[in-house]
Amino acid sequence: MKQLLLKLEPIIWLLFGAGLSLGTILLTGFVLVVGLAIPMGLVDSSAVDYTRAHALASSAFGRLVALGLIALPIWKGAHHMRSLAVDFNGGDRDGAVGGFLYTAAAVCSLIGIVAVIRL
Amino acid sequence: MARASHPEAMAPPRKGSTRTAPPQMPSSWWGAPRIRTYLLFGATGVVYFVAGTVVLHLVWVLGKGPEAWDVAMSSLSHPLYLLFHALTLISLVFVGIRAFGTMMPKMQPRNGPLPVLPGGAVRGLIYGAWGIVTLLFSLVLAGKILP
Repeated sequence: MKQLLLKLEPIIWLLFGAGLSLGTILLTGFVLVVGLAIPMGLVDSSAVDYTRAHALASSAFGRLVALGLIALPIWKGAHHMRSLAVDFNGGDRDGAVGGFLYTAAAVCSLIGIVAVIRL
Repeated sequence: MARASHPEAMAPPRKGSTRTAPPQMPSSWWGAPRIRTYLLFGATGVVYFVAGTVVLHLVWVLGKGPEAWDVAMSSLSHPLYLLFHALTLISLVFVGIRAFGTMMPKMQPRNGPLPVLPGGAVRGLIYGAWGIVTLLFSLVLAGKILP
């Protein structure tokens, strides 16, 4: 597994870097409005009623943004959790931990692709 | 005058492979500000991972229909969700300041065709892009622009 992770490292780092930069840039506005402002009543919830939310997310650009909001933070999270595990537990189980986390990220990304296709 | 010591005086009796001790986190890590900040930066990964799955859940229920969407949106008012999203916002700002403000200005390629920009210029560009995208995205989601 460790050898496979070393081979996949350029792809993993690309996704991690995109998650760190683009994920942070995209997620901030989403969390501010959908995660906080609307539930707290600061913004009218009709802004994201089903019709409008579906219209926004089902456009080609909307699907791309939605997929970015799903996959990029997950890959950033998976890689940072792996490095955190190495920091605390050493590298003995890095192959298993990294393999598990990246598999979870890949599965979530695939489900994300299905989710944006079926919008 | 003492004799010069033999160069192999401290060598082990039998030759073997060189072993280095595995790296270990110092037990005093919480008291060391630099290690603590580094670990907190890594710990934001947990928050990002969960935040991604929350968005995945929302997009999935959006594809299921209006009833499922309304239930999911009303569940976001639960205090645990609010607490998590507040934590996510703190993590995003922390990652943004650390990555965009301190790391990325130093990560410019030094031997490429592009000129190496001053750190302040890189910071300004990235913070500017972050601010503009956040503002536009927030206005769209809040229904202030785009019908």
